[in-house]
Amino acid sequence: MFKGFIKHLFPRVVLEQNLRLSYTFCLGGLAFTALLIMAASGLLLLFYYQPTPDRAFPSILFLESSVRGGRYIRSLHRLASHLFLVLIFLHTLRVLLTGAYRKPRELNWVVGFSLLCLAIFGAYTGYLLPMDQLALWATQTGMELVKAAPFGGFVRAFLVPDGVGEALSLLRFYVLHVAVIPLALLLLSLLHFYRIRKNKGVLPFL
Amino acid sequence: MENSDKTRRNFLATVVSGIAGLFLLNRFLSPRPGKQARTLTLAGAVIPDQGALVYREARLAIIREKGEVYALDLVCTHLGCTVAVTPAGLVCPCHGSRFDRRGKVLEGPAGRPLRRYAVEVGSEGIIVKLA
Repeated sequence: MFKGFIKHLFPRVVLEQNLRLSYTFCLGGLAFTALLIMAASGLLLLFYYQPTPDRAFPSILFLESSVRGGRYIRSLHRLASHLFLVLIFLHTLRVLLTGAYRKPRELNWVVGFSLLCLAIFGAYTGYLLPMDQLALWATQTGMELVKAAPFGGFVRAFLVPDGVGEALSLLRFYVLHVAVIPLALLLLSLLHFYRIRKNKGVLPFL
Repeated sequence: MENSDKTRRNFLATVVSGIAGLFLLNRFLSPRPGKQARTLTLAGAVIPDQGALVYREARLAIIREKGEVYALDLVCTHLGCTVAVTPAGLVCPCHGSRFDRRGKVLEGPAGRPLRRYAVEVGSEGIIVKLA
């Protein structure tokens, strides 16, 4: 079954025009690679990060000082997240400029836009986790700002049931960042790729 | 639309149970908060005549103004940063909102004045009535 999956990724026949790099610059594929790097590095970080208000920052300090490769993995995770956002934006720009949102790709555009929003929200929830000054105040101002949007009060009450940086809220951001958003990103990405292949478009390999 | 094996009844049942499920999930995810602290006691505090007694962790400043004593909430009414009490006045370090000693907005993106709490000067110290 595994071999069948791998084989189907490489079709027997491809259109010559799909092989030009300047067609898509492989931005979407690069973005997905960044996502995979974040999943792997994030998994390793999970072994050391403790999601409580008094242990979060010390656990990061411990990771950086006493874990071999800890600083590297943490930096890798952070840089991959920067790359992910940049590549997704460039990919969106490419899609816009090549008109790849038109019929029959309307659904795929919506899926792609959801992926963009999830990526941004994932980056935002991850930002709070180290519980340093930057994280805390960025979240404090962000959660005040959320109140201005429609249904903002409900969204804020869900994300921050007790205060910003308190136990329940940190745990919520943690669960969203580590479980809910990666799962949603993965499922929507697979749907995204399935739709691309169904539309017989773009590069023949990931 | 092509013929589906689901009937209208099935669809409605799915939608209604979906909405009910979301409602119950929302209830699960909204805990009732415990009793909030209604007063804050600051032991052995002396309020200066002209300055303010600033408690940064509690985000309060105790001020005496023409014989009246009150506590000013140092949470900026713009986006929630802690307002800094300086000799030049009350300034928010995040986006530059300025307030006067009574909490009124002098300048800056903040629109509402700072909250004020009643204060009781007791024998153990100052009691700030938060609720």
